[in-house]
Amino acid sequence: MTWQLFQLLVTAAGLTVFISAVSIMIALVLGTIVSVVTLSPKPAFALAGRTYISFFRGVPLLVQLLLIYNLLPVMGIDLPGIVAAIIGLSLCTAAFQAENLRGAFASLPRGLVEAAEMAGFSAAQILRRVRVPIAFRLALPALANEAIFTLRASSLVSVVGVVELTRTAQDLASSTFLPLQLFAAAGLLYLLLSWTIAALGHVMERRMRWGRV
Amino acid sequence: MKRRLFCTLTGATAVAGAMSGFSRAARAQDALTQMKANGVLRIGTETAFAPFDFIDPSGKHVGFNLDLFAALGKDLGVKVTYTLLPFEGLLPGLEARRFDLVGGPLTITKARMERYRFLPPVSEGTVALLKRRGDSSITKPADIAGKTVGAGKASAQLAQLRAFTETLPGKTSIREYVGNNEAYADLAAGRIAAVGNSFPNVNYVATQRPQVFEVVTPPFGKKTYFGYLGRKDADSAPLLDVLQAALLKLRADGRLAGLQKTWIGQSIETPEAVTAPEV
Repeated sequence: MTWQLFQLLVTAAGLTVFISAVSIMIALVLGTIVSVVTLSPKPAFALAGRTYISFFRGVPLLVQLLLIYNLLPVMGIDLPGIVAAIIGLSLCTAAFQAENLRGAFASLPRGLVEAAEMAGFSAAQILRRVRVPIAFRLALPALANEAIFTLRASSLVSVVGVVELTRTAQDLASSTFLPLQLFAAAGLLYLLLSWTIAALGHVMERRMRWGRV
Repeated sequence: MKRRLFCTLTGATAVAGAMSGFSRAARAQDALTQMKANGVLRIGTETAFAPFDFIDPSGKHVGFNLDLFAALGKDLGVKVTYTLLPFEGLLPGLEARRFDLVGGPLTITKARMERYRFLPPVSEGTVALLKRRGDSSITKPADIAGKTVGAGKASAQLAQLRAFTETLPGKTSIREYVGNNEAYADLAAGRIAAVGNSFPNVNYVATQRPQVFEVVTPPFGKKTYFGYLGRKDADSAPLLDVLQAALLKLRADGRLAGLQKTWIGQSIETPEAVTAPEV
């Protein structure tokens, strides 16, 4: 295994980072919306949220990616591979993040919300200033966990024509006949990236600790 | 309740209408008009198929296909773009119109011909065996009788290898691999005695690692050919007609044979068209 091969893997890891990071961000926003909608007192909203979660959590990511990439063009919506990859990853991850947040919303201390009501906060203010920030703190370990899952799941997006880290290792393995070294190096890069996400999660946990405002 | 139902219905109708409108717009031009308008020939291919299509150790996409499509593009005055997919994604991508021609190339079989249209073959795909260098227990294909051999899962070559081993005495077992490279690795490690794959592929492996591998000649099994394929519908026919004529020109003026020599190691006799494949 040469330095040049390793550099090719690092370059490909850049694409993996880009796709994963964008998808993790979109999924956090979308997941928050979905979980708030699911907890809505209006049955139609709650049903819509639950349907979203059960679909995107229930259909394997690989199948979702193939559907987005191969079915939408038939309807005339032609998405480049990388867009299809990001959409697939974020829609799927958002369903899991929504569930993580739903758990956190459910375990919010009732007293906090009541106190905010007493202080004259509107429902929207309570959501934005009290429920969402605290739910995020409670769910942080689970959110970071799911973000690592997204990173690893990004190894599937080569099925929509995105040549990311895993696919690059496969391609190079087939022309250099060094599968062991290349896959070991790719594994190491994934490990470094997931450590980075875990470390970011810890930093955020420390900064958002209870009692610190 | 009634109002909600009404909203749902109008919404659904609007979406359906928009979809059919989109698909009409997408199909307003046939594939040839589209290629001429955009100046682009769209190819879908797989990059783990040396010597036809692969990523070299410097990270460059190279191979027989690249050179051949570059020559085709030059003759037709268009640029060539590639969508790189795993093998199993190629045919769905073709049907989704992400590209108009599948590189590969693929073994021309009866089943594939029923659904797709092949261009003239660019190489032979007859199955040959790869063995460890200096393994004197295998000097001809039939010598694998009673040993364990490997081949790629769901490949046309696996089917051929299986048919061949059934004619041999004793029990020859076949191990199936997700990719050919895993099979080559097991061969090098001594876990299997030989790997069956198309002659151009095993020959390339043997020339790349001459200290490790050797091809068992002659190839065995039915004669098969490798070709590129496109959709069978009327929209694609004019484009495939043009590509077919351009490919036959490369064949006639010797450029095809030159590429075979460069990438496969020898020029290979191929017919102008395969009408009745043996597999």
